[in-house]
Amino acid sequence: MTPPAGDHVTSTGAGPRPGDHVTSPGAGLRAGDHAGQPGGAARSLADRQAELVGTLTSGAPVPEGFDARLVETARVALLRKRAGEVAKAWPALAASHGREWNAAFARWAATRPTQGSLRDGWDLAREVGAGLRSDAAEELAAREALQVYDGEHAPRPRRLPAVRRGDGGVLIQVAGRLRTLRWPSG
Amino acid sequence: MTDYGVGIGWRPEIAGFVAGLPGLRFAEVVAESIHDHDDLPPGLAELRARGVAIVPHGVRLSLGGAEPVEPDRVRHLARAAERLAAPLVSEHIAFVRAGGVEAGHLLPIPRSREAVDAIVANVERTQAELSVPIALEPIAAVFDWPDNELDEGDFLTEILDRTGALLLLDVANVYANALNRGDDPAALFDRIPLERIAYVHVAGGAEHDGIYHDTHTDTVPPAVYDLVADLCARHRPPALMLERDGHYPPADDLRAELDAIAKSSGYPAVT
Repeated sequence: MTPPAGDHVTSTGAGPRPGDHVTSPGAGLRAGDHAGQPGGAARSLADRQAELVGTLTSGAPVPEGFDARLVETARVALLRKRAGEVAKAWPALAASHGREWNAAFARWAATRPTQGSLRDGWDLAREVGAGLRSDAAEELAAREALQVYDGEHAPRPRRLPAVRRGDGGVLIQVAGRLRTLRWPSG
Repeated sequence: MTDYGVGIGWRPEIAGFVAGLPGLRFAEVVAESIHDHDDLPPGLAELRARGVAIVPHGVRLSLGGAEPVEPDRVRHLARAAERLAAPLVSEHIAFVRAGGVEAGHLLPIPRSREAVDAIVANVERTQAELSVPIALEPIAAVFDWPDNELDEGDFLTEILDRTGALLLLDVANVYANALNRGDDPAALFDRIPLERIAYVHVAGGAEHDGIYHDTHTDTVPPAVYDLVADLCARHRPPALMLERDGHYPPADDLRAELDAIAKSSGYPAVT
């Protein structure tokens, strides 16, 4: 499976790239630290951009002077766009939520800046864990069999064969190819 | 730039449709979807071999960021241009990350002297690595910064003058911004150097909560075609392209949108 174009760039090339920085949930709040500083007008563009990104990706307070209604509109639109992108990369995960997908994803993502839709969906699926519907569990198991993902860096192809239990059988990955052995039914 | 006429944003999902456009001479590809160590995406090399000009369109350089643009990303864009033998590249007047956090979207920069200095410096760093011109695209913004010192016309003109960059004008962005700010969209055409337009984006959008969003996943509104016609009556750009990024409609609908761009610009249909 090929992740959407926008994601893939962070996983190309050797070694971590600047864009791969690990940001723990809520890291954007850091920008809010500046809010209480005196002489706010003199703050650098870099600090003010970081503060705005924190508002949009981690729910930090709206920076002074901005139209709070419009910034909130942008924040919600951003979550809607991310939900659509993650649904493309994780179709079974999204489908298992039915019409609630956008809302469910938005609740989860509201305080988590994007790590790209491949990793966002992966993190969410792992969190749901045993609660995943069988097809979504299989989607996750297939990804786990094909790639190593430590939750902190871009996923990489597995070099060694891997076996993962899926809902309806066992997924076996050898040399990057995936096979499914179904449990005998009945 | 020679006249290319009507083009389209190449995406893997519509590669078959794009390959079947008989009159196509111009396409754009998201630069970050080309990987240095992989072959060109299937379909793209064939278009190139057919003589279709392909422009890599960067979306994650963050030229408007206060931090210096990342050299690896610049090199990647330059390499993509070389592999495609592209006549130019394009990127946005926007920032997409700050303090190591990805916004996941193109965000507006203030129309301030400080922000103009920052983006001019980043465009110059990028131009130093490129062997072809760069065109800069103003974005659609749902909100503005509170400390704008320049109006949009002066802001864009100053960035273009200081960098020598070309303009990628997205008429759907012009429409969205004007609608959301309550301005006349065509008024911007009087304030920016139309002869610097390398090409034009045409895209669809949708309204949510009283705000028009430039989604690229909805139909192009009739008012955007009117704006294309208005622009072309003043100064027809060398190329205009349909930009669609998801919820791809049936081929007939895409063809109809391409034909509508041809009709409003006066260029021949490519379908």
